[in-house]
Amino acid sequence: MENILEIKDLKISFDTFSGEVQAVRGVNLTLKKGETLAIVGESGSGKSVTSKAVMKLIPQPPGKYKSGEILFEGKDLIKYSERDMHKIRGSEISMIFQDPMTALNPTMTIGAQIAEGLRKHQKMNKQEANERVVKLLDLVGIPNPEARLKQYPHQFSGGMRQRVVIAIALACNPKILIADEPTTALDVTIQAQILELMKDLQDKMSTSIILITHDLGVVANMAQRVAVMYGGRIVETGSVDEIFYKPKHPYTWGLLSSMPKLHNNSEKLLAIPGTPPDLSNPPKGCPFAPRCPYAMKACVDMMPDYTNLSDTHQTACWLLDDRAPKVEPPETIGVGGTKS
Amino acid sequence: MTAMEDKLLEVRNLKRYFKVSHNDVLKAVDDVSFDIYKGETLGLVGESGCGKSTTGRTIIRLYDATDGKVLFNGEDVHGKKSKKELKKFNRKMQMIFQDPYASLNPRMTVKDIIAEGIDIHDLAKSNKERNEKVYRLLETVGLNKEHANRYPHEFSGGQRQRIGIARALAVDPEFIIADEPISALDVSIQAQVVNLLQELQEKRGLTYLFIAHDLSMVKHISDRVGVMYLGHMVELAKSDELYDHALHPYTQALLSAIPVADPEIERSRERIILKGDVPSPINPPSGCRFRTRCPHAMDICAQVAPKWQEAREGHWVACHLYDDEYKSGLNK
Repeated sequence: MENILEIKDLKISFDTFSGEVQAVRGVNLTLKKGETLAIVGESGSGKSVTSKAVMKLIPQPPGKYKSGEILFEGKDLIKYSERDMHKIRGSEISMIFQDPMTALNPTMTIGAQIAEGLRKHQKMNKQEANERVVKLLDLVGIPNPEARLKQYPHQFSGGMRQRVVIAIALACNPKILIADEPTTALDVTIQAQILELMKDLQDKMSTSIILITHDLGVVANMAQRVAVMYGGRIVETGSVDEIFYKPKHPYTWGLLSSMPKLHNNSEKLLAIPGTPPDLSNPPKGCPFAPRCPYAMKACVDMMPDYTNLSDTHQTACWLLDDRAPKVEPPETIGVGGTKS
Repeated sequence: MTAMEDKLLEVRNLKRYFKVSHNDVLKAVDDVSFDIYKGETLGLVGESGCGKSTTGRTIIRLYDATDGKVLFNGEDVHGKKSKKELKKFNRKMQMIFQDPYASLNPRMTVKDIIAEGIDIHDLAKSNKERNEKVYRLLETVGLNKEHANRYPHEFSGGQRQRIGIARALAVDPEFIIADEPISALDVSIQAQVVNLLQELQEKRGLTYLFIAHDLSMVKHISDRVGVMYLGHMVELAKSDELYDHALHPYTQALLSAIPVADPEIERSRERIILKGDVPSPINPPSGCRFRTRCPHAMDICAQVAPKWQEAREGHWVACHLYDDEYKSGLNK
């Protein structure tokens, strides 16, 4: 499959009063046509900044693209002017935000908000746009669309608003959909509805999705490939099976172990001690070294390189070096709930 | 769960209504009854707006009950009380809040935050004793005494939640209500806090009411779990029993909606996906409140509210599907 998006050595910093915060420190990513790539990590790991960078939504200043390329169909978006980006946003690449309560304009009817992109990008007239809006609302499962499009966001529930946000994002048939924690603000039963809807729409429209989340359950449900971020870097990337069944990075082990399993009873959760690194003064070596139970001297001093474990599976960890002691992953990762 | 075990807390027909406008009353908690035994953790789950937090807050008397009773060691928590009597309850019951950023006073040092309860209840005779108590509490929750003179903004979310826990422990309570104590934290930090809560329970014989919407975490920490929907308790059972043999269609849907962190299971799983949203609690559906979204809804569900009954040993449910009268009526 061809790559629709390639991110090469992306570095993004923010100037703050306490100095430069290096939010993203050399990220490499590819997104293939029609696939779902999940980016997982804790708050402050740089996952949202990476995704916003693709849309060029990083405010400059205080943000700064220090280096790297974002190749969308071979063209570098970093070199694009704001004006050129207007043509990309919403039509080629669009975004679903976390909080449907704040992502919508409270003073516009939802019909007008969905039609906005259609009128601008596809130069539709009012009537054409309205017809398409009705179709879109129907597609995302909002009953009685003709009447609903004249209503305002406050007249919708949280789950319905997220459906409206999805309808806006999909209005112009984008090639890439970036979903930044699309279900975090929703209840589980509504989350199940929205995830089902996103998968269904992906089948119909063959959109590529970048899914940002911290919920490994959602990842297992949606993604084909996973990138695990920590301290502004990708520490492990692989197919969903490789990450869940053959993880190699101690941080991925920690993430998998700290999730309670629904189908078996372990006495204690394995917590990762400590807190994430301060990116205004990032560690010289592996960002996870201070919290890693297997950390060696090399980990503190030098940043590990990526080791290719398969065509799709790369891990940045000194444990995979020939000279390092062999370490078996802890049993507690005992995935998800297979063994009951 | 044997009858021999001591009940620490009995909640009987608890109601808490809010007047939202001239004519409308929001019934946040409507006729909920359950017991909490000494030394156990009772989990309370449900979606936003189901009344789980209001239940917790009414138990500790942050809200006055509209009707019903809360008995703590056999004594009613609500009703007219002198300041002295209230103080007695406040010492035994403490609460840990959801948002560690909003629940600590930013203008007080950590020492004063933790010692506030000690001061109110006169638990320290001298300043030295007060300090020692605070230091010991900080160590108990995994912080150290250097932290005592700092302010809340200098701490991360997980550390702040530890301060909140230390504050709750300061007065040696028997019972702690934890209202979504980990929802605002990152996954790896959540596990730290949950492990701390469990350790403290073992060491001090605490009883918890653990309120959360994350069912897998609730299952992990709780002995028994109650499921709430629109102000009603719909099911209550031991946590294994509830997860293995959920009876109420809402519990079944809730369990099936949780994504499991295992790609193979996710690929093969059949989901029960509920249609629609939770109805407004100001004007809830007649009969069973879940019937508008229930895949098994029958005529009777719209007419009669289902009874709260023991369907299996220690497993309570409110659903017409498990009504003996109705079932036998069907068979005739």
